[in-house]
Amino acid sequence: MKRALALAVAALLSSPAIAATDPRTVPTQLPPAWQAKTRELFKQAIEIPSVHHRGQTQKVAELLAGQFRAAGIPEADIHMMPYEALPGDNTTALIVRWRSPHPTKKPMLVLGHMDVVEAKREDWKYDPFVFREEGGYFYGRGASDMKNGDVATTMAAVKLMSQGFKPSRDIIFFYSGDEETNGRGATLGSTQWRNLTDAEFGLNADGGGASYDRNFRPLGFGISMAEKTFQTYFFTTHNPGGHSSRPRPENAIYELADALKALQAHRFTPMQNDITRGYFEERSRQEGNSPLGQAIRRWLANPNDGQAADEIEANPLEVGLTRTRCVATMLKGGHADNALPQSATATVNCRIFPGVQPKDVQAELQALAGPKVEVTPDPSYIGVPTPASPPRPDVINAVKAAALRFHGKDMHVFPVMSTGASDGSFFRAQGIPVYDVDGSWGISPDDERAHGLDERIPVRAMYDDVLHWEMIFKALAG
Amino acid sequence: MFEHIVDIPTVIGRHHVPEEAQFVADQFKAAGFPEADIHVVPYHTGSATTGDDDTAALIVRWRAAGTPKAKPMLLMGHMDVVEAKPEDWSATDPFKMVEKDGYYYGRGTIDMKDGIVAITRAMIDLKAAGFKPKRDIVVLFTGDEETNGIGAKKGASEWLDLLGHPEFGLNADGGGGSINPDRSPAGFTMQTAEKTFAGYTLTVRNRGGHSSKPRKDNAIYSLAHAIDKIEAYRFQPQLNETTRAYFSGREKLEKGPLGDAMRRWLANPNDGEAADFIEASESEVGLTRTRCVPTRLFAGHADNALPQLATAMINCRIFPGVDPNAVKAELERVVADPEVKVTRNDDYVASLASPLRPDVTAAYTKAVHALHPNQPVFPEMSTGASDARPFRVAGIPVYGTNGGWTVTPIDNRAHGKDERLPVESLYDNVVHWEMMLRDLAG
Repeated sequence: MKRALALAVAALLSSPAIAATDPRTVPTQLPPAWQAKTRELFKQAIEIPSVHHRGQTQKVAELLAGQFRAAGIPEADIHMMPYEALPGDNTTALIVRWRSPHPTKKPMLVLGHMDVVEAKREDWKYDPFVFREEGGYFYGRGASDMKNGDVATTMAAVKLMSQGFKPSRDIIFFYSGDEETNGRGATLGSTQWRNLTDAEFGLNADGGGASYDRNFRPLGFGISMAEKTFQTYFFTTHNPGGHSSRPRPENAIYELADALKALQAHRFTPMQNDITRGYFEERSRQEGNSPLGQAIRRWLANPNDGQAADEIEANPLEVGLTRTRCVATMLKGGHADNALPQSATATVNCRIFPGVQPKDVQAELQALAGPKVEVTPDPSYIGVPTPASPPRPDVINAVKAAALRFHGKDMHVFPVMSTGASDGSFFRAQGIPVYDVDGSWGISPDDERAHGLDERIPVRAMYDDVLHWEMIFKALAG
Repeated sequence: MFEHIVDIPTVIGRHHVPEEAQFVADQFKAAGFPEADIHVVPYHTGSATTGDDDTAALIVRWRAAGTPKAKPMLLMGHMDVVEAKPEDWSATDPFKMVEKDGYYYGRGTIDMKDGIVAITRAMIDLKAAGFKPKRDIVVLFTGDEETNGIGAKKGASEWLDLLGHPEFGLNADGGGGSINPDRSPAGFTMQTAEKTFAGYTLTVRNRGGHSSKPRKDNAIYSLAHAIDKIEAYRFQPQLNETTRAYFSGREKLEKGPLGDAMRRWLANPNDGEAADFIEASESEVGLTRTRCVPTRLFAGHADNALPQLATAMINCRIFPGVDPNAVKAELERVVADPEVKVTRNDDYVASLASPLRPDVTAAYTKAVHALHPNQPVFPEMSTGASDARPFRVAGIPVYGTNGGWTVTPIDNRAHGKDERLPVESLYDNVVHWEMMLRDLAG
């Protein structure tokens, strides 16, 4: 969910394009037999509508477990972990341990999630739960968030096992079933199920990745090492209501609309940390003398230059990286067409800059919404700010080697702060550093459709991601 | 009887209207009305915005003794109520009637299970007292007035034979009286016209996306701006014969600034400022013009995704004679945003006023004055829509002649929370209907 394609991204307006190759047309390096297996597994995974409350996530878990079983993982190391996510939403996590015959290092955790965000047939051009290949893309809900990562990590392990590869440390696969809603699985995984998941560090397939701009210039490969805190708030207004034939000046919907307009206009104070400074230093090199590059340099030189920060934040490629952001995502109001509303509620989703307490954001929202609106945090998920993970040279070097192989030397690898929150935050909070290192990629911003309409991934990005994870496993557990 | 039927949650989608229809039918049967003249008629109601339900109407025909002296008279009401959620109400469960401080609390206590009980009780009591009607008295209680009005449409068309092609109708879902908090009279009204009920939807679509990357274009924010414009907008003031008669009656009761404004407006219908002043009064809301108000909001599909769709239901009460399509065009001009689409939710046509009938006016006035000698009586244009509309369109005049009363404005809670009825009002209403029936069918 809470994943944005953590693509670092760039100015579309700077220097004229040098004729570059469309990365979607470069042939994949994955052998055809493995392409077929990957495609089939991806198709099956996408076509299971593992949306919360539909009771389908278990089927994804069985699908992935079947792959590991067939590749030779003993039954005792495959754990189906049923749990209740939201009330009435019974889901499952899958934990698979690929044992090292002679471990020389502490285990390594590979994270993913099997659930997807709701997608409605009427909103999409085609059925979101029917897998489709068209124009060099795979389409379907979960194509980029993140059944691609489930398939790539599983398929890479299956492929390595078929080649007789023996890891030098246990590799533990942890696929949760409610990342998009509650993160209950990751909470359990990082605490109660720790005997099955304890590891030196974690690699999350729900983030990372490379991107290109529309002129096919490489924009970079971001490894997410920190993430904003996810917190949803409710703006609620109450009113005695009444008959709609007799409107009154005070009206729950009007009061809510005023608060939404105030929210739309509000901007939180810009902030920086070590990870975002590292990120913007890389970006300033990429941007050169473009207006964005100049704004980044001004802001790095003077973190109090709010105007520079605003200019950066306003760029579609940098949204959310300079401060806390909150946005209205849902509305519900009224109880009958012909009655004045007795209550109206807006769901306001916030991504809070690391280190800022959610209760302080709540106070700021309450101040802007005014006394007629009640601002409360979503009680079903209280965000906990998490520490940034310390940079690990072995992880960074493994990613650099893979990026060089699939994208060439111009694809820079650098740290990023993720604006989405993922299962990684729960493990970070419990002392396991997590790095988002998935190898899929896309054209920015056209392919950034996670949670949105007509979600997709380039066909080659899916196939090469299997090889990417194969390299990562060999490098870190070889 | 009142407690029993208030406790039945006859909200659309909950499938309880047939139970209430059967209960009321059983009361008539027990009182000796012949089974052949009591019909519980099941029917289906539904629309895209209200959902569906299997509901029912109750039709009871009390035949004239001997050769009828006139065509049948129709008594109308509806058994369904608007949704009510226990968590929105202050202290009581909307579907568990409570008597407290001289009031009955519960959903439907004023809209309009009081009328169902008053008509039923009055007929049963009259029969027990040996009253023999000189014309057929036909009851039609519908089961979806608050939503789709399909029962009334059928009543005014395919059930007309069953109803005996009535000459006119008396609707318990209209009329009634008010007293001020100081107990001084605020008037009784007989409903002869009603505004046209029409629903509209504002729809904003957007490509959506991930909520961690907000964009300037956002379906919810566009909708909020459109709602804000509707909040600020006022339609052109209008007067017709019914409202002119109503305000002529009302101004005599109002000595203060409100009365002055009524007098100014009656003298000069172009005095928009006077009309605005009247419209702003809680007791006169909706009587000077078309009014539109948002009643429901829906947007978004996940808390962590930018909304792909945001909609608002706009409920309009249109001045009689104004075409609902013209109001749609006006809303489009007000919103003035190509991102915000305005569509109609129904195909209702403009409603008509019923001509005043001296016999009905006299009977109503007499019944009111018997119980409330100080209360003036005048015709009224109802701002709410009722089952009367299809009958009026079909050429059967309908008069809202209920005899209940409330304290204005504090008891104006129909469709809202903590709906309540003064205990005394319920009993007065039974006597009121008995007098009306004796006069008009005796």
